[in-house]
Amino acid sequence: MSHPVLTVGIIANPASGRDLRRLTANAGLYSSTDKASAVQRLLAAFAATGVDQVLLPPDMTGIAAAVLKAGLGPQAASQRWPQLRILDMPLRQTVADTRLAARLMVEQGASLIAVLGGDGTHKAVAAEVGDTPLLTLSTGTNNAFPELREATSAGLAGGLYASGRVPAPISLRRNKRLLVREPNRGICEWALVDVAVSPQRFVGARAISRTEDLAEVFVTFAEPHAIGLSALCGLWCPVPRNAPEGAWIRLHPHADQALLAPLAPGLLLGCGVTAAGILTPGVAHSLSLASGTLALDGEREIEFSEQDHPTITLDGHGPLSIDVEAVLAYAARHRLLAVGREHPQHPANQPC
Amino acid sequence: MSTHLSTEQLLHAYQVMRTIRAFEERLHVEFATGEIPGFVHLYAGEEASAAGVMAHLRDSDCIASNHRGHGHCIAKGVDVYGMMAEIYGKKTGVCGGKGGSMHIADLEKGMLGANGIVGAGAPLVAGAALAAKLKGTDDVAVVFFGDGGSNEGAVFEAMNLASIMNLPCIFVAENNGYAEATASNWSVACDHIADRAAGFGMPGVTIDGYDFFAVYEAAGAAIARARSGQGPSLVEVKLTRYYGHFEGDAQTYRAPDEVKNLRETRDCLMQFRERTLRAGLLSAEQLDQIDGQVEDLIEDSVRRAKSDPKPEAADLLSDVYVSYP
Repeated sequence: MSHPVLTVGIIANPASGRDLRRLTANAGLYSSTDKASAVQRLLAAFAATGVDQVLLPPDMTGIAAAVLKAGLGPQAASQRWPQLRILDMPLRQTVADTRLAARLMVEQGASLIAVLGGDGTHKAVAAEVGDTPLLTLSTGTNNAFPELREATSAGLAGGLYASGRVPAPISLRRNKRLLVREPNRGICEWALVDVAVSPQRFVGARAISRTEDLAEVFVTFAEPHAIGLSALCGLWCPVPRNAPEGAWIRLHPHADQALLAPLAPGLLLGCGVTAAGILTPGVAHSLSLASGTLALDGEREIEFSEQDHPTITLDGHGPLSIDVEAVLAYAARHRLLAVGREHPQHPANQPC
Repeated sequence: MSTHLSTEQLLHAYQVMRTIRAFEERLHVEFATGEIPGFVHLYAGEEASAAGVMAHLRDSDCIASNHRGHGHCIAKGVDVYGMMAEIYGKKTGVCGGKGGSMHIADLEKGMLGANGIVGAGAPLVAGAALAAKLKGTDDVAVVFFGDGGSNEGAVFEAMNLASIMNLPCIFVAENNGYAEATASNWSVACDHIADRAAGFGMPGVTIDGYDFFAVYEAAGAAIARARSGQGPSLVEVKLTRYYGHFEGDAQTYRAPDEVKNLRETRDCLMQFRERTLRAGLLSAEQLDQIDGQVEDLIEDSVRRAKSDPKPEAADLLSDVYVSYP
């Protein structure tokens, strides 16, 4: 009897990890070559856990091409990689590509979508996929939503969940989100970690690297070890990832109290704090500024002026994601990766 | 680096971009008449890059350009009429009519020259940056090259030299997607030109070249870094050109609606106008006034350039290294 084709998707954002913070801070580079290698490590893990087919978006930076080329090589053959299928879609070389690829993967039955990117990439995918879980991998600059993790072990966890060997209640966690709404302009955008209100009038180079460019930050969660804008709340009024509430902090350069926070890799800045508090789910907050920009998950995206009235609301309807630690702990307890004598990877079957 | 620009700075940025656009669109029309000698390579569509970078430079900072150099010249402050006359090959041109479109230079403005050799500007700015460093000034030098130029050995050598000598040098890769008719996603091995910076020990960033404010911020950070002695950097500006590689290029290598879609959705002048008006920082009257002034300037420049005298045979013996009797 044939089993249904087990399909997963992989989206590696070609643009992540190249913004201004390489000049203003000491942020590192995650090149297309690195991303193609990480996809190949995921494929090895998916192969080992029974995934039949992997969907990949096309791209203009050679990631899919490098993976396809590797798919014809000896490593892919010996590891029995899943079948690779490139989505048939036009490319605009903007975030629209990420969003479309995510929608197509859901339509084509992906059990989960592995995302290689920063907070912004994950946010773009999350808003399109409903309850299809995300396997989150950090290849951006300031990442709080995806944890820093090696693709191989994350891929094992994803494959074990997708193949049904680890139950969903163990594997999945529901995340919070922030909704940014401006009804007159038809804006309803998601953020998974933070929304920052900036007096900067233009989106510009997107990253925020100066304290005077920050007036307010709203967060879904804020861990004390965070890097980026959520570190402001993380070091002042932390909120766990699994708590129902969020937090907010208001900033001004002339405030009496100040906090030293890592706003970007290598960029520690003193930020004046005027107030902070808990963000209650379901309550719409208006902004303290009449005009400026809103940075969603670290990047300025929305310019607003006096005639606009954006609000920010926390809720618990964000994406599902794979809890890699929980899945692999379950796998260890149940010896899910034990291999029998008949398995090709059993030491007895290896050439001397 | 911030996008807090004064009204004067915003108006200047618009004026620079509008002048480049009008200059190039007029050349597109005039070149078809056959009156202009040589080749022209138009910069229309890429204006935000030149304007965003040059907004941070002064006359004592040097730039070197490429074959698509009109925009860089205008943004660096080279006289528009003098450029037009140069392109028409007239004696009143900024180089006496002997350089033409691909060799416009104005050392007083820090414009070391457009350059017909792909990638050849990079070693020149490494030299200019070394001069600034040896003189102890805080001047910087900027080279503009394309995705084709990014594959040239001369660019690699200049980046290596700039890095080991910690020169105040900025490498601006204007990636318009095509080296002549060859797509950059085929010809550039690492695809993101900014990634190449890592191999030379300098930071590299990729920036939206349709957005003046994005270029302004990124270039500002790179230039401030160089001025303060922190060395070179690479800024990849992603943009498009609205016309062919050269005038007369049928562009059969591009999708039929590629330029039309980008013009309608991403155009840098359209974005600048919409966003500054929406933010209440500029008025439509101010921008319309600039449009009118630019139109007059280009009309006047073309009229004068057409009627100006050509260089004479004796001019061949001037501006050369050897004195002739």
